[in-house]
Amino acid sequence: MARTLAMFTDTSLCIGCRACQVACKQWNELDMEVPDWTGTYQNHTHFTDKTFRLVRFIEEPGGKPNGDLAWLLMSDVCKHCADAGCLNACPTGAIYRTEYGTVNINQDLCNGCRYCVPACPFGVVSFNEQTGTAKKCTFCNDRIHNGLGPACAKACPTESIQFGFRDELVGKAQKRVEHLKAMGFKEAQLYGADARGFLSGLNAFFLLLGKPSTYGLPESPSLPQKRVLAESLLSIGSALLVGVGALVAFRQRNGGKEE
Amino acid sequence: MSLLQSPHWPVLIDVYFFLGGLAGGAFVIATIAHLLDARRFRDVSRVGYYLALLALIPCPIILIVDLGVPLRFMNMVRAFNPLSPMSMGAWALLGFSVCAFLAALMTLLEDAGRARNLGGAKIVVGVVGGFFAFFLAAYPGVLLSATARPLWAGGHALGALFLAVGASTGAAAVALVLMLIGRTAAGLAPLRTMLVLALLIQLLAVVVFVMSAQSSGSLASTRALATLTSGSHSLTFWLGAIVVGSVLPLVIGLVNVKRRSPGLTALASILVLIGGFLVKFVIVAAGQM
Repeated sequence: MARTLAMFTDTSLCIGCRACQVACKQWNELDMEVPDWTGTYQNHTHFTDKTFRLVRFIEEPGGKPNGDLAWLLMSDVCKHCADAGCLNACPTGAIYRTEYGTVNINQDLCNGCRYCVPACPFGVVSFNEQTGTAKKCTFCNDRIHNGLGPACAKACPTESIQFGFRDELVGKAQKRVEHLKAMGFKEAQLYGADARGFLSGLNAFFLLLGKPSTYGLPESPSLPQKRVLAESLLSIGSALLVGVGALVAFRQRNGGKEE
Repeated sequence: MSLLQSPHWPVLIDVYFFLGGLAGGAFVIATIAHLLDARRFRDVSRVGYYLALLALIPCPIILIVDLGVPLRFMNMVRAFNPLSPMSMGAWALLGFSVCAFLAALMTLLEDAGRARNLGGAKIVVGVVGGFFAFFLAAYPGVLLSATARPLWAGGHALGALFLAVGASTGAAAVALVLMLIGRTAAGLAPLRTMLVLALLIQLLAVVVFVMSAQSSGSLASTRALATLTSGSHSLTFWLGAIVVGSVLPLVIGLVNVKRRSPGLTALASILVLIGGFLVKFVIVAAGQM
Protein backbone atom coordinates (compact mmCIF):
# COMPACT_ATOMS: atom_id res chain seq x y z
CA MET A 1 0.00 0.00 0.00
CA ALA A 2 1.17 3.43 -0.90
CA ARG A 3 1.62 6.07 1.76
CA THR A 4 -1.76 7.15 3.12
CA LEU A 5 -3.05 10.39 1.67
CA ALA A 6 -5.23 12.76 3.64
CA MET A 7 -7.11 16.01 3.58
CA PHE A 8 -6.82 18.34 6.53
CA THR A 9 -9.63 20.88 6.78
CA ASP A 10 -8.64 23.73 9.10
CA THR A 11 -11.98 25.36 9.87
CA SER A 12 -10.25 28.35 11.52
CA LEU A 13 -9.09 29.46 8.07
CA CYS A 14 -12.37 28.94 6.23
CA ILE A 15 -13.99 32.12 4.94
CA GLY A 16 -17.11 30.42 3.60
CA CYS A 17 -16.49 31.28 -0.05
CA ARG A 18 -17.58 27.79 -1.15
CA ALA A 19 -14.95 27.62 -3.88
CA CYS A 20 -14.38 24.03 -2.73
CA GLN A 21 -18.07 23.19 -3.20
CA VAL A 22 -18.08 24.68 -6.70
CA ALA A 23 -14.77 23.10 -7.71
CA CYS A 24 -16.07 19.73 -6.53
CA LYS A 25 -19.24 20.13 -8.57
CA GLN A 26 -17.27 21.14 -11.66
CA TRP A 27 -14.57 18.51 -11.56
CA ASN A 28 -16.94 15.67 -10.72
CA GLU A 29 -19.61 16.91 -13.15
CA LEU A 30 -22.30 16.93 -10.49
CA ASP A 31 -25.67 18.28 -11.56
CA MET A 32 -27.14 21.42 -10.09
CA GLU A 33 -29.81 21.14 -7.42
CA VAL A 34 -32.63 23.38 -6.31
CA PRO A 35 -31.25 25.36 -3.34
CA ASP A 36 -32.64 24.86 0.16
CA TRP A 37 -33.60 27.84 2.30
CA THR A 38 -31.71 27.00 5.47
CA GLY A 39 -31.86 30.38 7.19
CA THR A 40 -28.13 30.80 6.65
CA TYR A 41 -25.80 30.83 3.67
CA GLN A 42 -25.55 27.05 3.93
CA ASN A 43 -26.69 25.03 0.95
CA HIS A 44 -27.74 22.26 1.23
CA THR A 45 -28.79 21.11 4.68
CA HIS A 46 -26.83 17.88 4.28
CA PHE A 47 -24.76 15.94 1.78
CA THR A 48 -26.59 14.77 -1.32
CA ASP A 49 -25.78 12.55 -4.26
CA LYS A 50 -24.71 15.71 -6.06
CA THR A 51 -23.02 17.59 -3.21
CA PHE A 52 -19.84 15.95 -1.95
CA ARG A 53 -18.29 19.06 -0.40
CA LEU A 54 -20.54 21.12 1.81
CA VAL A 55 -19.66 24.29 3.66
CA ARG A 56 -21.54 24.40 6.93
CA PHE A 57 -22.43 27.82 8.40
CA ILE A 58 -22.93 27.63 12.15
CA GLU A 59 -23.88 30.43 14.53
CA GLU A 60 -22.70 29.76 18.07
CA PRO A 61 -23.73 32.31 20.73
CA GLY A 62 -20.83 33.08 23.07
CA GLY A 63 -18.49 31.02 20.94
CA LYS A 64 -15.75 33.64 20.59
CA PRO A 65 -12.99 34.02 23.24
CA ASN A 66 -14.47 37.42 24.20
CA GLY A 67 -17.95 35.98 24.54
CA ASP A 68 -19.33 37.29 21.25
CA LEU A 69 -21.28 35.24 18.80
CA ALA A 70 -18.99 32.96 16.81
CA TRP A 71 -19.76 32.45 13.18
CA LEU A 72 -18.27 29.05 12.54
CA LEU A 73 -17.57 27.81 9.05
CA MET A 74 -16.67 24.27 8.18
CA SER A 75 -16.10 22.76 4.79
CA ASP A 76 -17.36 19.23 5.38
CA VAL A 77 -16.57 16.19 3.29
CA CYS A 78 -16.48 12.38 3.38
CA LYS A 79 -14.08 11.42 6.17
CA HIS A 80 -12.58 8.40 4.35
CA CYS A 81 -12.55 6.58 7.72
CA ALA A 82 -9.78 4.06 8.39
CA ASP A 83 -12.59 1.80 9.73
CA ALA A 84 -15.41 2.69 7.36
CA GLY A 85 -19.02 1.78 8.17
CA CYS A 86 -20.10 2.07 4.53
CA LEU A 87 -17.31 -0.18 3.30
CA ASN A 88 -18.07 -2.86 5.89
CA ALA A 89 -21.80 -2.67 5.16
CA CYS A 90 -21.50 -3.09 1.39
CA PRO A 91 -22.77 -6.53 0.31
CA THR A 92 -21.43 -6.35 -3.25
CA GLY A 93 -17.86 -5.26 -2.62
CA ALA A 94 -18.56 -2.10 -4.62
CA ILE A 95 -17.16 0.07 -1.81
CA TYR A 96 -13.42 -0.43 -1.61
CA ARG A 97 -10.27 1.10 -0.17
CA THR A 98 -7.73 2.47 -2.59
CA GLU A 99 -3.97 2.01 -2.21
CA TYR A 100 -3.87 5.56 -0.82
CA GLY A 101 -6.22 4.69 2.05
CA THR A 102 -9.23 6.52 0.62
CA VAL A 103 -12.70 4.93 0.36
CA ASN A 104 -14.43 4.78 -2.98
CA ILE A 105 -17.63 3.39 -4.54
CA ASN A 106 -17.23 1.39 -7.75
CA GLN A 107 -20.20 2.67 -9.74
CA ASP A 108 -20.16 -0.40 -12.01
CA LEU A 109 -20.65 -2.80 -9.10
CA CYS A 110 -23.04 -0.91 -6.81
CA ASN A 111 -26.57 -2.27 -7.18
CA GLY A 112 -28.29 0.38 -5.08
CA CYS A 113 -29.30 -1.58 -1.96
CA ARG A 114 -28.74 1.65 0.06
CA TYR A 115 -27.40 -0.15 3.13
CA CYS A 116 -24.29 2.07 3.13
CA VAL A 117 -26.50 5.16 3.55
CA PRO A 118 -27.58 4.48 7.17
CA ALA A 119 -24.25 2.76 7.92
CA CYS A 120 -22.30 6.03 7.58
CA PRO A 121 -21.89 7.68 11.02
CA PHE A 122 -21.58 11.08 9.31
CA GLY A 123 -24.49 10.98 6.87
CA VAL A 124 -22.17 11.25 3.88
CA VAL A 125 -23.24 8.47 1.51
CA SER A 126 -26.28 9.41 -0.59
CA PHE A 127 -28.44 7.58 -3.09
CA ASN A 128 -28.71 8.79 -6.67
CA GLU A 129 -32.10 8.10 -8.23
CA GLN A 130 -30.86 8.56 -11.81
CA THR A 131 -28.01 6.05 -11.68
CA GLY A 132 -29.62 3.92 -8.97
CA THR A 133 -26.32 3.80 -7.10
CA ALA A 134 -24.75 5.24 -3.96
CA LYS A 135 -22.59 8.34 -4.33
CA LYS A 136 -20.07 10.14 -2.21
CA CYS A 137 -16.80 12.06 -2.35
CA THR A 138 -14.20 10.06 -4.30
CA PHE A 139 -11.25 12.02 -2.88
CA CYS A 140 -10.95 12.95 -6.57
CA ASN A 141 -9.73 9.45 -7.29
CA ASP A 142 -8.90 10.31 -10.89
CA ARG A 143 -6.86 13.34 -9.84
CA ILE A 144 -4.85 11.72 -7.04
CA HIS A 145 -3.90 8.86 -9.35
CA ASN A 146 -2.47 11.45 -11.74
CA GLY A 147 -0.44 13.42 -9.25
CA LEU A 148 -3.00 16.13 -8.59
CA GLY A 149 -4.63 17.01 -5.30
CA PRO A 150 -8.42 16.90 -4.85
CA ALA A 151 -10.25 19.71 -6.66
CA CYS A 152 -11.56 21.22 -3.41
CA ALA A 153 -8.09 21.51 -1.88
CA LYS A 154 -6.75 23.00 -5.12
CA ALA A 155 -9.51 25.62 -5.21
CA CYS A 156 -9.34 26.69 -1.55
CA PRO A 157 -7.97 30.26 -1.48
CA THR A 158 -7.02 30.25 2.23
CA GLU A 159 -5.45 26.79 2.50
CA SER A 160 -8.25 25.84 4.85
CA ILE A 161 -8.27 22.55 2.92
CA GLN A 162 -4.84 21.00 2.70
CA PHE A 163 -3.89 17.86 0.87
CA GLY A 164 -0.86 15.66 1.50
CA PHE A 165 0.56 12.62 3.23
CA ARG A 166 -1.39 11.84 6.36
CA ASP A 167 1.53 11.66 8.80
CA GLU A 168 2.89 15.03 7.66
CA LEU A 169 -0.50 16.71 7.78
CA VAL A 170 -1.21 15.47 11.32
CA GLY A 171 2.06 17.04 12.53
CA LYS A 172 1.13 20.33 10.86
CA ALA A 173 -2.35 20.21 12.33
CA GLN A 174 -1.07 19.64 15.87
CA LYS A 175 1.18 22.71 15.62
CA ARG A 176 -1.74 24.74 14.34
CA VAL A 177 -3.90 23.73 17.34
CA GLU A 178 -1.17 24.85 19.76
CA HIS A 179 -0.87 28.15 17.92
CA LEU A 180 -4.63 28.74 18.07
CA LYS A 181 -4.80 27.83 21.75
CA ALA A 182 -2.07 30.36 22.46
CA MET A 183 -4.20 32.92 20.61
CA GLY A 184 -7.07 32.24 23.00
CA PHE A 185 -9.14 29.71 21.10
CA LYS A 186 -9.34 27.40 24.11
CA GLU A 187 -11.66 24.88 22.45
CA ALA A 188 -9.49 24.43 19.34
CA GLN A 189 -9.10 20.73 18.73
CA LEU A 190 -8.46 18.15 16.05
CA TYR A 191 -11.24 15.83 14.96
CA GLY A 192 -10.29 12.41 13.62
CA ALA A 193 -6.54 13.01 13.47
CA ASP A 194 -5.69 10.32 16.03
CA ALA A 195 -5.21 6.95 14.32
CA ARG A 196 -5.81 5.27 17.71
CA GLY A 197 -9.01 7.26 18.23
CA PHE A 198 -12.52 6.61 16.93
CA LEU A 199 -12.86 4.69 13.65
CA SER A 200 -9.03 4.27 13.74
CA GLY A 201 -8.74 7.83 12.49
CA LEU A 202 -10.20 9.78 9.60
CA ASN A 203 -8.26 10.31 6.38
CA ALA A 204 -10.12 13.58 5.99
CA PHE A 205 -9.70 15.13 9.42
CA PHE A 206 -10.55 18.54 10.79
CA LEU A 207 -9.48 21.31 13.07
CA LEU A 208 -12.52 22.60 14.95
CA LEU A 209 -12.87 25.74 17.05
CA GLY A 210 -15.44 24.19 19.35
CA LYS A 211 -16.88 20.90 20.46
CA PRO A 212 -17.68 18.46 17.62
CA SER A 213 -21.35 18.62 18.63
CA THR A 214 -21.34 22.36 17.87
CA TYR A 215 -20.71 21.39 14.26
CA GLY A 216 -23.28 18.58 14.41
CA LEU A 217 -20.53 15.96 14.41
CA PRO A 218 -20.77 12.90 16.68
CA GLU A 219 -18.36 13.18 19.63
CA SER A 220 -17.06 9.65 19.36
CA PRO A 221 -18.70 7.69 16.54
CA SER A 222 -18.33 3.92 16.64
CA LEU A 223 -18.17 1.45 13.79
CA PRO A 224 -21.77 0.22 13.26
CA GLN A 225 -20.53 -3.31 12.57
CA LYS A 226 -19.17 -3.50 16.14
CA ARG A 227 -22.72 -4.38 17.16
CA VAL A 228 -23.03 -7.39 14.82
CA LEU A 229 -21.47 -9.92 17.21
CA ALA A 230 -23.52 -9.04 20.31
CA GLU A 231 -26.76 -8.78 18.34
CA SER A 232 -26.06 -12.10 16.61
CA LEU A 233 -25.49 -13.77 19.98
CA LEU A 234 -28.76 -12.33 21.30
CA SER A 235 -30.49 -13.65 18.16
CA ILE A 236 -28.98 -17.11 18.73
CA GLY A 237 -30.27 -16.95 22.31
CA SER A 238 -33.71 -16.10 21.00
CA ALA A 239 -33.44 -18.94 18.45
CA LEU A 240 -32.58 -21.40 21.24
CA LEU A 241 -35.57 -20.23 23.30
CA VAL A 242 -37.88 -20.54 20.28
CA GLY A 243 -36.44 -23.96 19.41
CA VAL A 244 -36.83 -25.28 22.95
CA GLY A 245 -40.34 -23.77 23.05
CA ALA A 246 -41.27 -25.57 19.84
CA LEU A 247 -39.85 -28.86 21.16
CA VAL A 248 -41.83 -28.47 24.39
CA ALA A 249 -44.98 -27.56 22.47
CA PHE A 250 -44.78 -30.54 20.12
CA ARG A 251 -43.73 -32.95 22.87
CA GLN A 252 -46.61 -32.27 25.25
CA ARG A 253 -49.15 -35.04 25.70
CA ASN A 254 -52.33 -34.33 23.86
CA GLY A 255 -54.57 -34.37 26.95
CA GLY A 256 -58.17 -33.43 26.32
CA LYS A 257 -60.20 -33.87 23.21
CA GLU A 258 -59.25 -31.88 20.14
CA GLU A 259 -61.74 -29.53 18.61
CA MET B 1 -29.64 18.89 13.98
CA SER B 2 -28.63 15.42 12.99
CA LEU B 3 -26.49 15.05 9.89
CA LEU B 4 -27.42 11.40 9.46
CA GLN B 5 -29.18 10.17 6.37
CA SER B 6 -31.98 7.68 5.98
CA PRO B 7 -32.02 4.85 3.44
CA HIS B 8 -35.70 5.61 2.69
CA TRP B 9 -36.61 1.95 2.40
CA PRO B 10 -40.24 1.66 1.27
CA VAL B 11 -42.98 -0.33 3.04
CA LEU B 12 -42.31 -3.19 0.62
CA ILE B 13 -39.13 -3.88 2.58
CA ASP B 14 -41.24 -4.30 5.73
CA VAL B 15 -43.41 -6.75 3.78
CA TYR B 16 -40.22 -8.66 2.93
CA PHE B 17 -39.09 -8.66 6.58
CA PHE B 18 -42.54 -9.98 7.52
CA LEU B 19 -42.73 -12.68 4.83
CA GLY B 20 -39.13 -13.80 5.34
CA GLY B 21 -39.71 -14.21 9.08
CA LEU B 22 -43.01 -16.00 8.53
CA ALA B 23 -41.42 -18.36 5.99
CA GLY B 24 -38.56 -19.10 8.39
CA GLY B 25 -40.94 -19.71 11.30
CA ALA B 26 -43.20 -22.00 9.29
CA PHE B 27 -40.19 -23.97 8.03
CA VAL B 28 -38.73 -24.52 11.51
CA ILE B 29 -42.13 -25.60 12.84
CA ALA B 30 -42.51 -28.04 9.96
CA THR B 31 -39.08 -29.51 10.62
CA ILE B 32 -39.63 -29.90 14.36
CA ALA B 33 -43.04 -31.47 13.78
CA HIS B 34 -41.50 -33.83 11.23
CA LEU B 35 -38.61 -34.76 13.53
CA LEU B 36 -40.70 -35.41 16.62
CA ASP B 37 -43.56 -37.41 15.15
CA ALA B 38 -43.65 -37.44 11.36
CA ARG B 39 -46.87 -39.43 11.26
CA ARG B 40 -48.94 -37.68 13.90
CA PHE B 41 -47.86 -34.17 12.83
CA ARG B 42 -47.88 -34.93 9.12
CA ASP B 43 -50.32 -32.12 8.37
CA VAL B 44 -48.28 -29.60 10.34
CA SER B 45 -45.09 -30.37 8.43
CA ARG B 46 -46.89 -30.47 5.08
CA VAL B 47 -48.58 -27.12 5.63
CA GLY B 48 -45.40 -25.67 7.14
CA TYR B 49 -43.21 -26.58 4.17
CA TYR B 50 -45.74 -25.46 1.56
CA LEU B 51 -46.36 -22.22 3.41
CA ALA B 52 -42.64 -21.54 3.79
CA LEU B 53 -42.17 -21.75 0.02
CA LEU B 54 -45.28 -19.68 -0.74
CA ALA B 55 -44.28 -16.92 1.67
CA LEU B 56 -40.74 -17.00 0.31
CA ILE B 57 -41.57 -16.60 -3.38
CA PRO B 58 -42.33 -12.83 -3.23
CA CYS B 59 -39.20 -12.14 -1.15
CA PRO B 60 -36.47 -12.11 -3.81
CA ILE B 61 -38.83 -10.29 -6.18
CA ILE B 62 -39.41 -7.51 -3.63
CA LEU B 63 -35.71 -7.18 -2.94
CA ILE B 64 -34.72 -7.11 -6.60
CA VAL B 65 -37.38 -4.55 -7.53
CA ASP B 66 -36.23 -2.34 -4.65
CA LEU B 67 -32.61 -2.22 -5.86
CA GLY B 68 -31.40 0.92 -7.58
CA VAL B 69 -30.08 -1.25 -10.40
CA PRO B 70 -32.24 -4.41 -10.28
CA LEU B 71 -30.30 -6.21 -13.00
CA ARG B 72 -27.24 -6.19 -10.76
CA PHE B 73 -28.93 -8.30 -8.06
CA MET B 74 -26.43 -11.10 -8.61
CA ASN B 75 -23.71 -8.75 -7.31
CA MET B 76 -25.09 -9.63 -3.85
CA VAL B 77 -23.32 -12.98 -4.11
CA ARG B 78 -20.07 -11.78 -5.64
CA ALA B 79 -18.83 -10.96 -2.13
CA PHE B 80 -19.03 -12.77 1.20
CA ASN B 81 -18.80 -10.26 4.00
CA PRO B 82 -19.50 -11.69 7.49
CA LEU B 83 -19.50 -8.20 9.02
CA SER B 84 -22.37 -7.08 6.77
CA PRO B 85 -25.79 -8.48 7.67
CA MET B 86 -26.94 -7.37 4.21
CA SER B 87 -24.36 -9.67 2.62
CA MET B 88 -25.02 -12.58 4.98
CA GLY B 89 -28.76 -12.11 4.57
CA ALA B 90 -28.45 -12.42 0.80
CA TRP B 91 -26.56 -15.67 1.22
CA ALA B 92 -29.06 -16.95 3.79
CA LEU B 93 -31.93 -16.10 1.45
CA LEU B 94 -30.22 -18.10 -1.28
CA GLY B 95 -29.56 -21.08 1.01
CA PHE B 96 -33.07 -21.00 2.44
CA SER B 97 -34.61 -20.77 -1.04
CA VAL B 98 -32.88 -23.99 -2.08
CA CYS B 99 -33.97 -25.82 1.10
CA ALA B 100 -37.54 -24.47 1.05
CA PHE B 101 -37.89 -25.51 -2.59
CA LEU B 102 -36.52 -29.01 -1.94
CA ALA B 103 -38.64 -29.51 1.19
CA ALA B 104 -41.82 -28.42 -0.59
CA LEU B 105 -40.94 -30.56 -3.61
CA MET B 106 -40.41 -33.67 -1.45
CA THR B 107 -43.67 -33.02 0.36
CA LEU B 108 -45.41 -32.67 -2.98
CA LEU B 109 -43.90 -35.96 -4.22
CA GLU B 110 -45.11 -37.69 -1.06
CA ASP B 111 -48.56 -36.15 -1.36
CA ALA B 112 -48.82 -37.22 -4.99
CA GLY B 113 -47.80 -40.74 -4.03
CA ARG B 114 -44.71 -40.56 -6.26
CA ALA B 115 -42.31 -41.11 -3.40
CA ARG B 116 -42.59 -42.98 -0.16
CA ASN B 117 -39.42 -43.10 1.80
CA LEU B 118 -37.93 -39.62 1.72
CA GLY B 119 -37.45 -39.60 5.51
CA GLY B 120 -33.65 -39.25 5.63
CA ALA B 121 -33.29 -36.71 2.83
CA LYS B 122 -36.16 -34.70 4.22
CA ILE B 123 -34.56 -34.57 7.64
CA VAL B 124 -31.27 -33.32 6.17
CA VAL B 125 -33.05 -30.61 4.14
CA GLY B 126 -35.19 -29.75 7.17
CA VAL B 127 -32.26 -29.34 9.55
CA VAL B 128 -29.99 -27.44 7.11
CA GLY B 129 -32.95 -25.33 6.00
CA GLY B 130 -33.89 -24.77 9.65
CA PHE B 131 -30.53 -23.12 10.23
CA PHE B 132 -31.06 -20.82 7.24
CA ALA B 133 -34.65 -20.22 8.36
CA PHE B 134 -33.56 -18.92 11.76
CA PHE B 135 -30.96 -16.76 10.03
CA LEU B 136 -33.50 -15.35 7.58
CA ALA B 137 -35.92 -14.46 10.37
CA ALA B 138 -33.31 -12.79 12.59
CA TYR B 139 -30.85 -11.05 10.27
CA PRO B 140 -33.03 -8.02 9.38
CA GLY B 141 -32.97 -7.03 13.05
CA VAL B 142 -29.18 -7.36 13.22
CA LEU B 143 -28.99 -5.46 9.92
CA LEU B 144 -30.87 -2.53 11.45
CA SER B 145 -28.67 -2.62 14.58
CA ALA B 146 -25.48 -2.41 12.50
CA THR B 147 -26.21 1.11 11.25
CA ALA B 148 -25.67 4.59 12.59
CA ARG B 149 -29.42 5.30 12.89
CA PRO B 150 -29.92 6.29 16.55
CA LEU B 151 -33.04 4.17 17.18
CA TRP B 152 -31.78 0.96 15.63
CA ALA B 153 -28.25 1.31 16.98
CA GLY B 154 -29.40 2.47 20.41
CA GLY B 155 -31.31 -0.58 21.57
CA HIS B 156 -30.36 -4.22 21.85
CA ALA B 157 -32.15 -7.39 20.76
CA LEU B 158 -33.69 -6.30 17.44
CA GLY B 159 -32.46 -9.55 15.85
CA ALA B 160 -33.88 -11.54 18.76
CA LEU B 161 -37.19 -9.68 18.38
CA PHE B 162 -37.40 -10.27 14.64
CA LEU B 163 -36.67 -13.97 15.15
CA ALA B 164 -39.41 -14.33 17.78
CA VAL B 165 -41.84 -12.49 15.48
CA GLY B 166 -40.92 -14.95 12.72
CA ALA B 167 -41.73 -17.83 15.04
CA SER B 168 -45.04 -16.39 16.23
CA THR B 169 -46.24 -15.36 12.77
CA GLY B 170 -45.09 -18.69 11.32
CA ALA B 171 -47.03 -20.61 13.99
CA ALA B 172 -50.08 -18.40 13.48
CA ALA B 173 -50.05 -18.85 9.71
CA VAL B 174 -49.68 -22.65 9.95
CA ALA B 175 -52.51 -22.81 12.51
CA LEU B 176 -54.80 -20.73 10.30
CA VAL B 177 -54.15 -22.88 7.22
CA LEU B 178 -54.72 -26.07 9.24
CA MET B 179 -58.08 -24.69 10.34
CA LEU B 180 -58.97 -23.60 6.81
CA ILE B 181 -58.35 -27.08 5.40
CA GLY B 182 -59.96 -28.73 8.42
CA ARG B 183 -56.93 -30.80 9.50
CA THR B 184 -56.80 -29.77 13.13
CA ALA B 185 -56.73 -33.23 14.75
CA ALA B 186 -53.19 -33.32 16.13
CA GLY B 187 -51.35 -30.16 15.21
CA LEU B 188 -53.37 -27.33 16.67
CA ALA B 189 -52.68 -27.92 20.37
CA PRO B 190 -48.87 -27.70 20.03
CA LEU B 191 -49.20 -24.67 17.75
CA ARG B 192 -51.31 -22.92 20.38
CA THR B 193 -48.61 -23.54 22.98
CA MET B 194 -45.94 -22.47 20.52
CA LEU B 195 -47.81 -19.24 19.83
CA VAL B 196 -47.94 -18.37 23.53
CA LEU B 197 -44.23 -19.11 24.05
CA ALA B 198 -43.17 -17.16 20.94
CA LEU B 199 -45.29 -14.17 22.04
CA LEU B 200 -43.62 -14.23 25.46
CA ILE B 201 -40.15 -14.16 23.85
CA GLN B 202 -41.35 -11.43 21.48
CA LEU B 203 -42.57 -9.22 24.30
CA LEU B 204 -39.40 -9.87 26.31
CA ALA B 205 -37.32 -8.76 23.32
CA VAL B 206 -39.41 -5.57 22.95
CA VAL B 207 -38.84 -4.77 26.63
CA VAL B 208 -35.08 -5.35 26.28
CA PHE B 209 -34.99 -3.17 23.15
CA VAL B 210 -36.91 -0.25 24.62
CA MET B 211 -35.12 -0.32 27.98
CA SER B 212 -31.63 -0.60 26.48
CA ALA B 213 -32.35 2.23 24.01
CA GLN B 214 -33.65 4.32 26.92
CA SER B 215 -30.52 3.71 28.99
CA SER B 216 -28.01 3.84 26.13
CA GLY B 217 -26.73 7.21 27.32
CA SER B 218 -27.00 8.61 23.81
CA LEU B 219 -29.20 11.65 23.51
CA ALA B 220 -29.89 10.90 19.86
CA SER B 221 -31.06 7.38 20.74
CA THR B 222 -33.41 8.44 23.52
CA ARG B 223 -34.82 11.12 21.22
CA ALA B 224 -35.32 8.59 18.44
CA LEU B 225 -36.94 6.19 20.90
CA ALA B 226 -39.40 8.92 21.81
CA THR B 227 -40.79 8.95 18.25
CA LEU B 228 -41.66 5.30 18.87
CA THR B 229 -42.93 5.48 22.44
CA SER B 230 -44.53 8.93 22.64
CA GLY B 231 -44.19 10.57 19.23
CA SER B 232 -45.78 10.18 15.82
CA HIS B 233 -45.43 6.38 15.76
CA SER B 234 -46.52 5.75 19.33
CA LEU B 235 -50.13 4.80 18.48
CA THR B 236 -49.04 2.18 15.95
CA PHE B 237 -46.43 0.91 18.38
CA TRP B 238 -48.40 0.74 21.62
CA LEU B 239 -51.91 0.06 20.36
CA GLY B 240 -51.13 -1.84 17.15
CA ALA B 241 -47.92 -3.76 17.77
CA ILE B 242 -48.03 -4.23 21.54
CA VAL B 243 -51.62 -4.28 22.80
CA VAL B 244 -53.59 -5.65 19.85
CA GLY B 245 -50.74 -7.51 18.18
CA SER B 246 -48.97 -9.12 21.13
CA VAL B 247 -50.62 -8.79 24.56
CA LEU B 248 -54.18 -9.48 23.42
CA PRO B 249 -53.30 -12.68 21.50
CA LEU B 250 -51.13 -13.73 24.43
CA VAL B 251 -54.06 -13.38 26.85
CA ILE B 252 -56.35 -15.16 24.39
CA GLY B 253 -53.73 -17.87 23.95
CA LEU B 254 -53.35 -18.38 27.70
CA VAL B 255 -57.12 -18.61 28.21
CA ASN B 256 -57.38 -20.89 25.22
CA VAL B 257 -54.81 -23.47 26.42
CA LYS B 258 -57.62 -24.94 28.54
CA ARG B 259 -60.66 -23.90 26.51
CA ARG B 260 -59.41 -25.05 23.08
CA SER B 261 -61.87 -22.90 21.19
CA PRO B 262 -61.15 -22.89 17.45
CA GLY B 263 -62.64 -19.41 17.12
CA LEU B 264 -60.28 -17.99 19.72
CA THR B 265 -57.30 -19.76 18.12
CA ALA B 266 -58.18 -18.20 14.77
CA LEU B 267 -58.64 -14.76 16.35
CA ALA B 268 -55.30 -14.97 18.19
CA SER B 269 -53.55 -16.10 15.01
CA ILE B 270 -54.94 -13.22 12.96
CA LEU B 271 -53.95 -10.72 15.66
CA VAL B 272 -50.44 -12.19 15.78
CA LEU B 273 -50.06 -11.78 12.01
CA ILE B 274 -51.19 -8.14 12.20
CA GLY B 275 -49.01 -7.43 15.24
CA GLY B 276 -45.99 -9.16 13.71
CA PHE B 277 -46.17 -6.94 10.65
CA LEU B 278 -46.81 -3.79 12.66
CA VAL B 279 -43.92 -4.27 15.09
CA LYS B 280 -41.45 -4.63 12.20
CA PHE B 281 -43.08 -1.82 10.23
CA VAL B 282 -43.09 0.64 13.11
CA ILE B 283 -39.47 0.00 14.09
CA VAL B 284 -38.28 0.42 10.49
CA ALA B 285 -40.42 3.54 10.02
CA ALA B 286 -39.50 5.22 13.32
CA GLY B 287 -35.82 4.43 12.79
CA GLN B 288 -35.82 6.17 9.41
CA MET B 289 -37.30 9.41 10.74
